[in-house]
Amino acid sequence: MSTSTSVHLGAGTGAPATGKPGGGPGSGTARWTASGMLLPFGFFYVLFLLGPLVYTAVAGFFNDSLVKDGTGEWVGTANYAEALASPEFWSSLGHTLWFTVLTTVPLILLALTLALMTDRFSRGKWFFRLAFFAPFMLPSSVISLLFMWIYADQIGLAQGVVKWFGVNAAPSWLGDPDWAMISIAAATVWWTVGFNFVIYLAALQEIPRDVYEAAAIDGAGPWQRLRLVVIPMLGRATTLVAVLQLVASLKVFDQIYMMTNGGPDDATRPSLLYIFQTGFTDGRAGYASTVALLLFVIILLISLVWFALIRRTEKEG
Amino acid sequence: MVRVRGSGHGNLHDRRRFLGAVGSLAAAGALSGCGSPVGQAFTGSAGPPSLLNFWHPFTGGDGAQLDAMQSAYRKENPGVDLKTTTLVWGAPYYTKLTLATLGNRPPQIAITHVSRLPTLAASGLLREISGSELEEHGLTPDRFKKAAFRSAHHDGRLYALPIDTHPFVLYYRTDVAKKAGLLDEAGRLTDVDGPEKFLDALRAAKQATGVWGGSIATVKDPATCWRLFWSLYRQLGADLITDGGRKVVMDVGAAEEALAFIHRMAAEKLIPPGADGDGGAITLLTSGKAGFLMDGEWQLLAVQGAVKDKFDMRTFPRIFRDAPYACAADSHAFILPSAPSEKAQRAGKALEFARSMLDESLLWAKGGHIPAWQSTERSDAYHRLEPQAHYRDAADSAAYDPAAWYSGADSNLYRRFSDVVSSVVGGDTRPGPGAARMRAAIKDLAGMEAPV
Amino acid sequence: MTTLTPAAPPSTPQTEPSRSRRRAGHTDSERLFNRVVLGVLIALALLWLVPIAWAVATSVRPPNDIATDPTSWLSENSTLSSYQEILSAGRIQYWYVNSLITSSLTTLLAVCTTSLAAFALSRLNFRYRRPVFLVILAGVMIPPQLLMIPQFLTLQATGMLNTYWAVILPQVPNVVSVFVFKQFFDGIPVELTDAARADGASWLRIYWQIVMPLSRPAISAVTIFVFVWSWNNFLWPLLAVTDPQMMTLPVGLNSVQDAFGLPQAQLMASAVLGALPLLTVFLFFQRRIVEGIAGTGLK
Repeated sequence: MSTSTSVHLGAGTGAPATGKPGGGPGSGTARWTASGMLLPFGFFYVLFLLGPLVYTAVAGFFNDSLVKDGTGEWVGTANYAEALASPEFWSSLGHTLWFTVLTTVPLILLALTLALMTDRFSRGKWFFRLAFFAPFMLPSSVISLLFMWIYADQIGLAQGVVKWFGVNAAPSWLGDPDWAMISIAAATVWWTVGFNFVIYLAALQEIPRDVYEAAAIDGAGPWQRLRLVVIPMLGRATTLVAVLQLVASLKVFDQIYMMTNGGPDDATRPSLLYIFQTGFTDGRAGYASTVALLLFVIILLISLVWFALIRRTEKEG
Repeated sequence: MVRVRGSGHGNLHDRRRFLGAVGSLAAAGALSGCGSPVGQAFTGSAGPPSLLNFWHPFTGGDGAQLDAMQSAYRKENPGVDLKTTTLVWGAPYYTKLTLATLGNRPPQIAITHVSRLPTLAASGLLREISGSELEEHGLTPDRFKKAAFRSAHHDGRLYALPIDTHPFVLYYRTDVAKKAGLLDEAGRLTDVDGPEKFLDALRAAKQATGVWGGSIATVKDPATCWRLFWSLYRQLGADLITDGGRKVVMDVGAAEEALAFIHRMAAEKLIPPGADGDGGAITLLTSGKAGFLMDGEWQLLAVQGAVKDKFDMRTFPRIFRDAPYACAADSHAFILPSAPSEKAQRAGKALEFARSMLDESLLWAKGGHIPAWQSTERSDAYHRLEPQAHYRDAADSAAYDPAAWYSGADSNLYRRFSDVVSSVVGGDTRPGPGAARMRAAIKDLAGMEAPV
Repeated sequence: MTTLTPAAPPSTPQTEPSRSRRRAGHTDSERLFNRVVLGVLIALALLWLVPIAWAVATSVRPPNDIATDPTSWLSENSTLSSYQEILSAGRIQYWYVNSLITSSLTTLLAVCTTSLAAFALSRLNFRYRRPVFLVILAGVMIPPQLLMIPQFLTLQATGMLNTYWAVILPQVPNVVSVFVFKQFFDGIPVELTDAARADGASWLRIYWQIVMPLSRPAISAVTIFVFVWSWNNFLWPLLAVTDPQMMTLPVGLNSVQDAFGLPQAQLMASAVLGALPLLTVFLFFQRRIVEGIAGTGLK
């Protein structure tokens, strides 16, 4: 999930937008200069993004093997037929969606609540920012180490806490198929809520104060102000957070690979781990490419829905 | 123009400082020389010739024994920089081994389960070990246990040097057995071979413990489920797959019979419906809630640590007599993953290391494993080891996993079959439908495009 | 709401004081409510620090202490021996260096290539500018994680696996950085570059001597984020590098064990050591990092 940062890059701030592209239309040197300037990036882009995407689309029609040279033999749509008929493909997709639901909803609601609460105070924000955001900076393997210890059977903190509250038979957090995904999702919420929190906090500070005051003069109570003024004005931040979260959750891999490796009994194996296992453990590169392409299409559809939503809110605005 | 430059000066300065810092860092790395680890990491060279990389997946008792075994080599070869790496066990270990070999930087020597050997060898990831090399290092075939040495071949070529055979065995509490009247005058377990006799023994033990007769990990432990099934299935004389896993020759009737026996143990509540593999099953034995434990011999140190001498071990019972005695087993073996060049391969050095480790086989045997190295296996020192001596015959009847790209330690086959076993033990599946599910699973696996 | 520019929000500076005054003037019930909120918030913030504190607490306990009472916070004989063990094993030092080198070089290459491409897209008028821009834009929607197989095969074919380059190169085409730079460059007054053009400066010179020096905020934003992202990247380095001595910090922490199985105290000590570098970065650049994120795509 931390990899989602790449998508969230904030622009540098400031600078008034007055620029227009120059360069003298149609000037011959501009074309060559432009090509030269685009070349280094283009090289990496084609070699490591565009090319591999094309490869993935093509390899899905071959029985390509990781350990054999060449692309293997043409198998038509056999890989697609196998994937769509495979219970493992569907169960891993199901786990991915379940994880997405388990994380996206609390990550939005919790981040919003925390931001609304923090926004009430003008001092001490740095402390809350530190507490809630710091985990987001940590590598996934540190998160996994921490929570494997916290969730450990018999000796872990989580079972200790539950027992302290009087529950005798504390579940095996990562060992029980019914609990494992929930436990991983909880760790993920702890890890990444800071990101959404920071976005909400910034969005809240953008709400002009006179809007509050106008609403207060109109006799709106705090709850009504929140519901009728603040939440609607956070619509855009919410859309953003929701979609970034959705896309990041659909690509979940790290913490599951490390904490349960998809177990127990494959109960936590997400799609990306399924691709990893079929591709790199079993060495079935062709089949894994098929699954990767199917997942890509799903993520693409969701991204497109995002763009459509953004367009609509912009038009309404 | 001048004005612009002036206004941007501070920024320019900062930027240069940043780029300078990054640049000098890279330069520092490069300058530290091609021989240094950092230099190697830029060039991908195999490192100095004195380096010998060894990978293994052992932690706990096995890890400690292996560590002790290396000290002799280190002492005798001070010029060799032996770098031992312990990696997380299971499929991730084999994935890493595969990736490292594909990535031209494998360890010079590594441990594998021979059940993984067919896939690794067929993928071209292993270097063949020649007869002359065996001669040179005193590793001739006659010095290894026959079955284990045979299992180290693929397509008639030798790719590995087995260090042990590790079978599925039976542990029992001597105090419980005594109370249950299952010990003879010499203090040894009476005959428990045959379905009725073994069930009787479990019933007697259940009476004695008041909880369970026997224990076995059927939750979160696909390997144990597989071993139980495979032991019974092989005792019925049935085969599963041939032709490298492409052809299914499963005997559904035998599978049903094996599952039916498992079902009987569970239905009579002689074994727990869902003991887990993270210590749950063993704890039932060590805490006296079960008289028997069906598990691999490598739990010996763990059990010994908990109950001292109040336990003993024997070969897994002979439940069925349809075929020669068989018990599920595997072997750990040294392999030489194929390196991009002879210089990086360092085969001579690796084999020398393997030889030194094999000479320390007694230490390995203390962890429970049956040595493949004959001079140890036949030694008095090993014969005197107890309870190791009580199950060492198992190595001659080892039922190795069938060869296929989807079989072997921690494989897809284990996962698919253990699902069924686990659910039969849990009481959710009857033997008949269970055998049918196994057949569907194996058909499915065999029908997939093989990657090798 | 059309632009979110945390560095200089137009209205906040004036309204901030009036807002607190407004609060101060409110009723007792609101003041009480505020206090409750503050209490809950502080409790949650402390709860959020528990996992890290727990790791630190575990890491300084002697191993046999943990065996006797696993869920205790304090130990009478606190010790740094676990840290000593981890450091003397000598692995984590390599991982630090590897992560530092690969992340720095990734960042350097990404900043250079993406800013150059963004400059061309922002300032130069050439024929296929729009299609090129759209093709790059589409790249945002390609999750690199899904491309691990062809990326692996590409690097295998070039023999670069298990070198730093294998870790670095696939992380360089960071599409979002192109947009960050382009957006920033679009905001630099066109008169500046026009004047330089009139003076006969080449485009490359304008990029290097005028535009880049003015773009420090964008450079630092991209630098921080590409660096953090590549430092924390797990899946790709897991595949690209298998030699334990060449692993990056996140991969090394996950893959390598000890023959004896690491005791909990040492596991937590390595977790703390693994967390330290970026936590330090965060403490130093807290404002910049948070502002960078807050400026996200809301524009």
